[in-house]
Amino acid sequence: MEFLLEIMTEELPSSHVRSALLQLEEKFNQEFQSARIGVNSLKTLGTCRRLVVLADLEARQPDEEEIVTGPPRQVAILPDGNFSPAALGFARSQGISIDRLEVIKTQKGEYLGFKRLKKGRPTEEIIAEKLPSIISSLTFPKNMRWGEKNFRFSRPIKNLLCLFNGQVVPVEFEGLTSNNRTWGHFIHSPKEIQVNSFAEYYQALKENFVLVDPEERKQSIFKQFQEKMADLKAEVYPDEGLLDRLLWNVEQPLVVIGTFPEKYLELPLEVLSTAMREGQKLFSMVRGKKQLPYFLGIADAPADPKNFIASGNERVLKARLEDARFFWENDLKIPLAERVPQLKNVVFQEKLGSYEDKVARLQRLVAYLADRLDIKSEKKALIEAARLCKADLLTEMVREFPELQGKMGGLYSRKQGFSETVSRAIYEHYLPQSLEDPVPESTGGAILSLADKLDTIVGVFGVGYSISGSSDPFGLRRNAHAICKIILEKKFHLSLSRTLDKAISLVKDKLTVPEAQLKRTCLEFFEGRLRFIFEKKGYRYDLINAALAPGIEYLDYTEARIKALNDLKQSKNFEQFILMAKRVKNILKEVPRARLNSALFKEKEEKELYSALKIIQKNAEEMLAKGDFAGAQKIIFRLQLPLNNFFDRVLVMSEDKKIRNNRLALLAQVQNLIQQLADYSQVVIESETK
Amino acid sequence: MSIQELFLKLYDFWLKQGCYIAPTYDLEVGAGTMTPDTFFRVLGKKPWKVAYVQPSRRPTDGRYGENPHRVQKHFQFQVIMKPSPDNIQRIYLDSLVSLGINLSEHDLRFDEDDWESPTIGAWGVGWQVLLDGLEITQFTYFQQAGGLELYPVSVEITYGLERLEMFLEQKDNIYDLKWSEDVSYRDLRFQEEKEFSVYNFEQADIQMLQHWFSSAEKEAQRLINQNLLLPAYDLCLKCSHLFNLLDSRGAISVTERVKMIGQIRTLVNQIARKFVEREGES
Repeated sequence: MEFLLEIMTEELPSSHVRSALLQLEEKFNQEFQSARIGVNSLKTLGTCRRLVVLADLEARQPDEEEIVTGPPRQVAILPDGNFSPAALGFARSQGISIDRLEVIKTQKGEYLGFKRLKKGRPTEEIIAEKLPSIISSLTFPKNMRWGEKNFRFSRPIKNLLCLFNGQVVPVEFEGLTSNNRTWGHFIHSPKEIQVNSFAEYYQALKENFVLVDPEERKQSIFKQFQEKMADLKAEVYPDEGLLDRLLWNVEQPLVVIGTFPEKYLELPLEVLSTAMREGQKLFSMVRGKKQLPYFLGIADAPADPKNFIASGNERVLKARLEDARFFWENDLKIPLAERVPQLKNVVFQEKLGSYEDKVARLQRLVAYLADRLDIKSEKKALIEAARLCKADLLTEMVREFPELQGKMGGLYSRKQGFSETVSRAIYEHYLPQSLEDPVPESTGGAILSLADKLDTIVGVFGVGYSISGSSDPFGLRRNAHAICKIILEKKFHLSLSRTLDKAISLVKDKLTVPEAQLKRTCLEFFEGRLRFIFEKKGYRYDLINAALAPGIEYLDYTEARIKALNDLKQSKNFEQFILMAKRVKNILKEVPRARLNSALFKEKEEKELYSALKIIQKNAEEMLAKGDFAGAQKIIFRLQLPLNNFFDRVLVMSEDKKIRNNRLALLAQVQNLIQQLADYSQVVIESETK
Repeated sequence: MSIQELFLKLYDFWLKQGCYIAPTYDLEVGAGTMTPDTFFRVLGKKPWKVAYVQPSRRPTDGRYGENPHRVQKHFQFQVIMKPSPDNIQRIYLDSLVSLGINLSEHDLRFDEDDWESPTIGAWGVGWQVLLDGLEITQFTYFQQAGGLELYPVSVEITYGLERLEMFLEQKDNIYDLKWSEDVSYRDLRFQEEKEFSVYNFEQADIQMLQHWFSSAEKEAQRLINQNLLLPAYDLCLKCSHLFNLLDSRGAISVTERVKMIGQIRTLVNQIARKFVEREGES
């Protein structure tokens, strides 16, 4: 039977609508399940003004047998086997005949009682009972109160439509009484509508300019996009994020097209599209890669017969573009280099000083990185880029559109005649913003981005901040992800430990945390982030643990190790080798290290293992030095046979202490070698879990 | 319709909603929210309905009269309804209809836009109202002011008169608007914008402003200690405007900004607390 709920509200933010619908779906499913109401289907729909749940439910809970207990057996049954007055009184009070009484065993002992069939409760009763707590339990990033209520919600709730099988489910909630009423489009058809089913509801809303199904709105938008663009042979500049937001902001999507004066096409694309998207939530239109002087907007209206909507948006956009042009031209009047000294007035972080301080550190850090990565030819340009990279924070454009930071610096510096290396590095140095975002294309951009983020992480931890759970005010996780992603994708072979030493030494005079402790904190933090990144890439957690164990000195090597391990996990020797490695590790537990003396070998198998180890060690270490972990791993697997024989034939724990220690020392050498690849003992293998 | 007809119609509309029409407050403020007719009245439990026009000064928005949209002083039409009525959105729409706007021909949107003023320890939840993409109103349910949770909740509706007039006259340039049939916005305001932009950005004496700021701050604290809350609040408004002027002179670093806003907020929060205590006693 059909269940229909509509929580009507004032305009909810789009992210709140999406989250509320997910919560409603989850909570109703849970409640129906725990109340034993059969759910044949359940889905949510909605707009910024209504949260809708539609379900097909069983009419009632199934009936169940219920046991009613009365007096204890000793009291209820007399020695002669007859019922006592207490038993008779119980039967009378329950309104049953005495032949239904029986002895019932419980954990507390035996009681007199009877069984009866408990009718399942009707579904509407369950709905009425659960609805208020479900609505109250919805959470939002920010809540509000209104009028004289103390109740909190994302925005004021206006009405509750609640129907089961065509009948209103009576619910009182925060001064509202549920009903079968809804209203059409708030502006374009605000009339009251009474409905008895979803079919009626859907149809009536459609007639009154509300498409309650988000998928239908999306299709409508796409169709209108295509109609608008067909004549122009243009495409919408794809912007999923914007489309997703607008989809929930409107009840009746109407795509309008407008133009802006061609003179604004002189502005950089970045500026144009930001002014359109951030300022006014408009889509830009392109042909190939060329921006066209058109925009598309999504209005919430059935039609624009007098072109008011399109021309209104045109006027507002023109004003914004005019402002952007004013910023662009004004900003260009002051060379970036002249702005640099002003950075002393812009605080980076209270305890870490101004951006002037930061930029000074960045210049030295990029110089260090350029040396380490052996790209000396770009070193000078990089130092220049580091000096200029934060100057755009002082431009009016970035003040107006903060998301253009970096990009504007890049555009202004190019316009002011700096080399391509310099302007590219500045342009790209905020990339990547997330793990999904691309890394800088230019090496210079990648290095400047690394330096900027390392300095932030080291500095923020270094003045005593820590991060926990959702609290990460300086975005340190995001910064660390960007660093790992750049190093891995750009294949930078860089010692993390020494780079951290350098970054720490540069910010030394500001630190409140001892240097050694700070370095430890940073390394642990990076290890954690790396683990997260590898998990996201789909590696098994135990392989990650194994590959991280030799350390994260060189991130490119760490990844090569995990790749090698992952590639080998299907090979037939893998499991046996792991078992062997575990055995070696176990036997060496808490054993003091001794020196190996080949003169002390007695058995053939230990001699063979030793000589095999020597050869394998030599070959493997050559490969390890080149970072060829897959190759090294394959070679090391060849230890398996001699190791097997060794364990089969040789008693490690010999009575003779000298010999025992020597054998342990041999195994320790094996262990030393394989530990450079991974801590294989961390790998979980199937034969163990079974 | 001219600007003066516009606000006369709005007065008329909100008068009929039971609002008291307040005279414009006689101090420089950054927004209508800051005048005592809003700030003190949203505190405490007493119901309140008020509407008024308030010139609002934002020195950094000055453009020497050269920008067709930005000015360092603009006019707000401010409405407070306490407690917020259930149908306040509809009442608001009716106010637009009373201006002759046929909503069925336009795209009117309540677009998420929460409001916060750290200076007066206030924040609220609401929307910017967009009419064919133009922001004409800020619509806010006040949750906190002077650092205090508000109960009941007031709703604030702030119309930007120039914006609304640009919409009504379909004009692209603020200076082309009609204040009355024969007086233009340019006649009234162009010279003022030019001169004040020079003053705000170039001429205001930084040392003097800093000195005034610290004097006003001290005086406000002294008055708070004397329980002279209304005069103390006036001095906070002065501090706020002096702060804005210093800001437009580029004389405030980020750290100082936080510190000065914090100084004003500390004063305002004391005033709010004492005001509510006093109201509770009466």
